[in-house]
Amino acid sequence: MASVLEVKGLKTQFFTQDGVVKAVNGISYELNEGETLGIVGESGCGKSVSVMSLMKLIPIPPGRIVGGEAIFESRDLMKIDDDEMRSVRGNKIAMIFQDPMTSLNPVLTIGKQVSEALELHLGMSKSEGRQRTVELLEMVGIPSAADRVDDYPHQFSGGMRQRVMIAMGLSCNPQILIADEPTTALDVTIQAQIVDLVKKLRDEIGMAIIWITHDLGVVAGLADRVVVMYAGFIVEEASVKDLYGDPRHPYTIGLLASLPRLDEERGRRLASIEGLPPDLIFARRLPFLCSLQLSS
Amino acid sequence: MDLRLKAAGEATRPRRTLWGDVWARLRRNRPAVVGLVIIILMYFTAIFAPLIAPYEYDKIDLENVRAGPSLDHPLGTDELGRDVFSRIVWAARSAAFVSIAVTVFGLTLGILFGVSSGYLGGWVDTLIMRISDVLFAFPGLLFVFFIAATIAPTLTAWLRSIGLDDLARSDYLDYLVVIIALGLVGWPGMARLIRGQLLSLKKREFILAAQAIGVPTWRIMWRHLLPNAMPPLIVAVSGGMGAIILSEATLSFLGIGLQPPNPSWGAMLYQYYGYWRTELWPLLFIPAAVLVIIILAFSFLGDGLNEALNPQLD
Repeated sequence: MASVLEVKGLKTQFFTQDGVVKAVNGISYELNEGETLGIVGESGCGKSVSVMSLMKLIPIPPGRIVGGEAIFESRDLMKIDDDEMRSVRGNKIAMIFQDPMTSLNPVLTIGKQVSEALELHLGMSKSEGRQRTVELLEMVGIPSAADRVDDYPHQFSGGMRQRVMIAMGLSCNPQILIADEPTTALDVTIQAQIVDLVKKLRDEIGMAIIWITHDLGVVAGLADRVVVMYAGFIVEEASVKDLYGDPRHPYTIGLLASLPRLDEERGRRLASIEGLPPDLIFARRLPFLCSLQLSS
Repeated sequence: MDLRLKAAGEATRPRRTLWGDVWARLRRNRPAVVGLVIIILMYFTAIFAPLIAPYEYDKIDLENVRAGPSLDHPLGTDELGRDVFSRIVWAARSAAFVSIAVTVFGLTLGILFGVSSGYLGGWVDTLIMRISDVLFAFPGLLFVFFIAATIAPTLTAWLRSIGLDDLARSDYLDYLVVIIALGLVGWPGMARLIRGQLLSLKKREFILAAQAIGVPTWRIMWRHLLPNAMPPLIVAVSGGMGAIILSEATLSFLGIGLQPPNPSWGAMLYQYYGYWRTELWPLLFIPAAVLVIIILAFSFLGDGLNEALNPQLD
């Protein structure tokens, strides 16, 4: 399969008053056409920063992409200028965010926000954009979309707003959709609906997806391949089947062990990984100490 | 059955826009509505002053000085026999003109500098904020006096040099001086307000979302950030216009604002101040009452707008 995106040695650091935060420490992976790649890891492992770096949306300063390449359409995203990057964002690589309640502008109607990318990237007129917006909203399953395009975000529920965000993300038929924990802020039934919707749209449109989450259950049902991140490193990369069936890295084993199971014995305490990243690098998180080998 | 009725009701519910909501809330606030009516009345009077005022503001009638109220002169006449009612009406025009011009001037500078400072940050922010710090360091009114008292000769020379001799005449020049002085002192407040708004807004996720779909910087500023910063700005403008009218009156009262015969409530206060104890018809209270009512009106409207734009559950 041909790869659409090739990330090589991506390094992002934040230069703060208290020292340098090494958020992403030279990660490399490939994303194939039409493939869904899950990036998992606990909070603070650099999952979001790594994809924000791809989009060049990290705040500069204090952040800086220190090194690495991201080859997309035979050019390095890290080297192109702002104008070129803007024509990639939303157009060829789209992104949806964690909290749909705050990702929509409260003073603009849904229609205006969804059609913005259409007007910017595809040069559509206002009325063409509006028409396409209605189609997109129907596609993501918003009932009576033609009436609702003129509604404001506060008139939508959380799940509906995430559908709107997906419509925004898919408006220009991107090759890659980056989803940064898009179901974390939603309740479980809505999560399932959103995951199903994304699966359905992926099969229809055929874009590649990078799906960031710390919910291993969601990844299992959606992703083809999974990358496990810890403290800015990729500690394990495997197909979904292998990862769940035969996890190799102790951190991955720890993550999987901390999942609650339906057939759990009553009264048994849920396993957890002590401490916070990047403690493991300093070998403070003892159960993993013996077999831990991080290249740094 | 019930469900279907409900669904039908849902579909036909009238669409409410953001500003429609604000208006509906404002309308329920009685003081704010009274304030709004008074303010509209003032601007209406200002626009139609030549039609409303029975006399010209500077028509002198020495046969009839310091007269009490009569049918010819409903509010009496001053020491030069000028009709007080007409002067009050014409002075509304001065107040309206000055308040709008200063607001436009201050708001333009304020938005320009505030948006640049808040969104671009970095050295632009530092530069603009230090300039506004310097302006803030002077006591506001004192600084206005300083500008108003010293700018006139410079302004006259400049206007002559660019061939606008007409504007350099004292009756126009007074207005220019007042507008420039109040505008220069007023913008840092606006700029800081907008900057503060933008600083908190630009960290919000929907701005990141807009960047993620490739919206250019200027479009994010004008289309995504500024409309969100509008509510406090509208409240500030409404309160600010009352303050501007009061400042103009203060300047004119002290003799460095609008000069007679230009009509100004402040200048009238000064003019009548000399003989208010000795007269049966206390002229002094007329411009004073007008000023108090109008400033209260702006203040009520400002409060009402604040509540209407930031609805809080009790």
